[in-house]
Amino acid sequence: MALRFLVRWSVALAAIVLIVSGVAVAQTPRRGGVLRVGNLGEPPALDAHWTTASITETLTNHIYEGLYSLDATNRPIPMLAESHSVSRDGLTYTFKLRQAVKFHNGKEMTAEDVVPSLARWGKQSIYGKALFAQVADWRAVDRYTVEMRLKEKSAIVLISLAVPNNFGAIYPREIVEKFPPEVKVTEYVGTGPFKLVEWKPDQYIRMVRFDDYKPRNEKPNGYGGGKTPWLDEIRWIPVPEVATRVAQVETGELEFADDLNLDAYDRLKRTPNVHTIISRPYYWLVAVFNKKDGLMTNAKLRQAWQAAIDIEPIMKNVAGGHAEFYRMDSSLTPVEIAAWHTKLAGLPWNEHNREKARRLLKEAGYKSEPVRFMTTQEYKWMYDFALLTKQQLEDAGFTIDLQVVDWATLVKRRNNPKEYDVFTTGMGAFYDPTHHIYLTATWPGWTTDEDILKLQAELARETDPKKRMVLWEQQTRQFYEKVPVIRYGDLFGLRAMRTSVKGFNERTERIRFYNVWLDK
Amino acid sequence: MTAYLLRRALALVPVLVVVVTVTFLLIHLIPGDPVSVMLGPDATPAQIQATRQALGLDRPLHEQLLKFYGRILRGDLGQSYFLDRPVTQALLERAEPTLVLTCSALFVAIVIGVPSGIVAAAAPGSLWDRTLMLAALLGVCVPGFWLSLNFIYLFAVRLGWLPAAGYASILADPLAALRYMVLPAVSLGFSQSALIARISRSCMLEALAQDYVRTARAKGLPDATVTWVHAFRNALVPVVTVIGITTAILIGGAVVTEIVFNIPGLGRLIISAVLRRDYPVVQGVILLTATVYVLINLVVDILYVFIDPRIRYE
Repeated sequence: MALRFLVRWSVALAAIVLIVSGVAVAQTPRRGGVLRVGNLGEPPALDAHWTTASITETLTNHIYEGLYSLDATNRPIPMLAESHSVSRDGLTYTFKLRQAVKFHNGKEMTAEDVVPSLARWGKQSIYGKALFAQVADWRAVDRYTVEMRLKEKSAIVLISLAVPNNFGAIYPREIVEKFPPEVKVTEYVGTGPFKLVEWKPDQYIRMVRFDDYKPRNEKPNGYGGGKTPWLDEIRWIPVPEVATRVAQVETGELEFADDLNLDAYDRLKRTPNVHTIISRPYYWLVAVFNKKDGLMTNAKLRQAWQAAIDIEPIMKNVAGGHAEFYRMDSSLTPVEIAAWHTKLAGLPWNEHNREKARRLLKEAGYKSEPVRFMTTQEYKWMYDFALLTKQQLEDAGFTIDLQVVDWATLVKRRNNPKEYDVFTTGMGAFYDPTHHIYLTATWPGWTTDEDILKLQAELARETDPKKRMVLWEQQTRQFYEKVPVIRYGDLFGLRAMRTSVKGFNERTERIRFYNVWLDK
Repeated sequence: MTAYLLRRALALVPVLVVVVTVTFLLIHLIPGDPVSVMLGPDATPAQIQATRQALGLDRPLHEQLLKFYGRILRGDLGQSYFLDRPVTQALLERAEPTLVLTCSALFVAIVIGVPSGIVAAAAPGSLWDRTLMLAALLGVCVPGFWLSLNFIYLFAVRLGWLPAAGYASILADPLAALRYMVLPAVSLGFSQSALIARISRSCMLEALAQDYVRTARAKGLPDATVTWVHAFRNALVPVVTVIGITTAILIGGAVVTEIVFNIPGLGRLIISAVLRRDYPVVQGVILLTATVYVLINLVVDILYVFIDPRIRYE
């Protein structure tokens, strides 16, 4: 009796030990392996300062680093900086750099590299230019200290240095001197956990582990914290045909496929060894008005459009009928960017009130002139929401002239106020209120409303976060009154990965493969 | 014969001049410019202007065209805006996959098409004839794109016999190259085999109706000899013409196949170049393709001389 008891308990114990150790083994990262990632296409450049293209952002954040990065709540945390201090008057920022950080060519990163890198970034990048417009002086104090003196108090210093898109990557001084800001860099040396070894256009881009990379001591935190390159190699493979990308992750020819069509969701969910990921945020859909010239300079017409549309059925349709892939929200910043998400009631968003729309059209003096609405089929979701909008607006009394062009044409034409009245696009993540490009006078659409611009300028100067939030809520209310663009809902994206891929952070906007390992 | 060849070679020149000029004008006149695409949608007008100047895109059109002619005469097709390398290098890097794909697809098309046509002609109206011609009809009607995707789904995803997409160089790894080439070559070749099958059948029927065939049969020659040794060669001239046309079509059809199967050839290159407005690359690919078309026509004309001894050129 006692023996049987003993045997049973020993077996149970042994089973528990095996299970736990099996789990532990599965969760222990291991070095090695080649990760093959399928993405949309070729990056126009691998110079982080040079372009806002999202594929460039993803790739360059593996080979370069900036002074700051974003944590899991999308707030700035130090990366190449060790710490910073701000003078009492708020005008001088002193950054201490981490020491013994190596570039891929073996050279140590020092202030001598940081100052010219960020100066170049300040001339070419949209975030760099916005920050450096407020900078009076930028210099090295000693080998590991740099100092930024501002013309006036600024709220955007750290966040600008932390934003991952078009970011302040630190290059070696020699490379900065070789490539002026308008010319893209074609030698790729950074401090990141991976280094570029081969780029065969239309075939692959190969990055291998940088063996001398020194991760920060902290745990991984959003885009930042400790970044450990477990993989031997990341191979980025451009697969322009989305059906092929899906097929290749199903067969295992790719370990990861990004930017997939939502139609593939059901099929991928059923595929063994494949894990689907809903990427949030992805894009929030907007229709941008030409406020410089033409019909849409009339505010009442814009308000009529805003009043007429019924957003939920549009979002549902664009999301292929899947509720998981869209979210209705009036906040100008998505939920994931916690610091600036607003929950305001009583906004004229999604009123779907045809009577109000018709009334506004009458007040606007609208005589059924065709509204030139530009969209593209290259992003299916843009085309879909344009078509549905056209339908809804025509029911409310608008006459819409839908013009379908390719993306390159759309990007060119939207710079010319004579060529369109409205165009479709998606907004990605803006990590700070001052980064919302559709609230500026220079971005296509040309928002020149004085009240909006005044509030944006105040937001750039006010450093108290609570006061900034009050201003931002004010700006949000103003946005819905002046209607510079129409905000639809949030659309999410689809990614897929083999179950052998471990450690992937599913909560960031764009993909990162440091801290990822292969369990094979 | 030599004089004929020389004349044909010289005739190439005006054709190519027209092709180059028209391409240049067309692509520069469509809206959209490479700089906006390269710098990203948020670039300021000042940045765009600076980069356009750096690339020479702000010069007047006729000046750019003349510069282009000058460079071509020196064998320089210019620099790709996107790929940071000379166009000639980009073309050379992409030529092998397209060449391998086109030749494999042509091989498949001929191997399926010619025997089908001949077998069908040998027994007109029979079940064989009707089945083969039905298959040929399907080949003409079914879109290559659809066929490719279904092949991927069946043979790669469901059965796992072959890879879904990709490319390996024949020089580096012939076995892998073969595995990657099967689905693309068969889906591209099948679509083209239809025309070859139907033409082969018509030509064979015509040849088999000739008097000499009746004589051959009367002499007691076996059917196979009559068909393959006597009638076939006489039917060949139009078939060779169609094969020549097919090769030309394949170069174009290869574009869709290359995109679906992710083959890094000239077809994919030109599509991405057009979408990105990478003018020098577009011009380079079109110039290359036009030259190849004209040369294929020349080769076909020469082949006639060997097939049909009655044909002579002066």
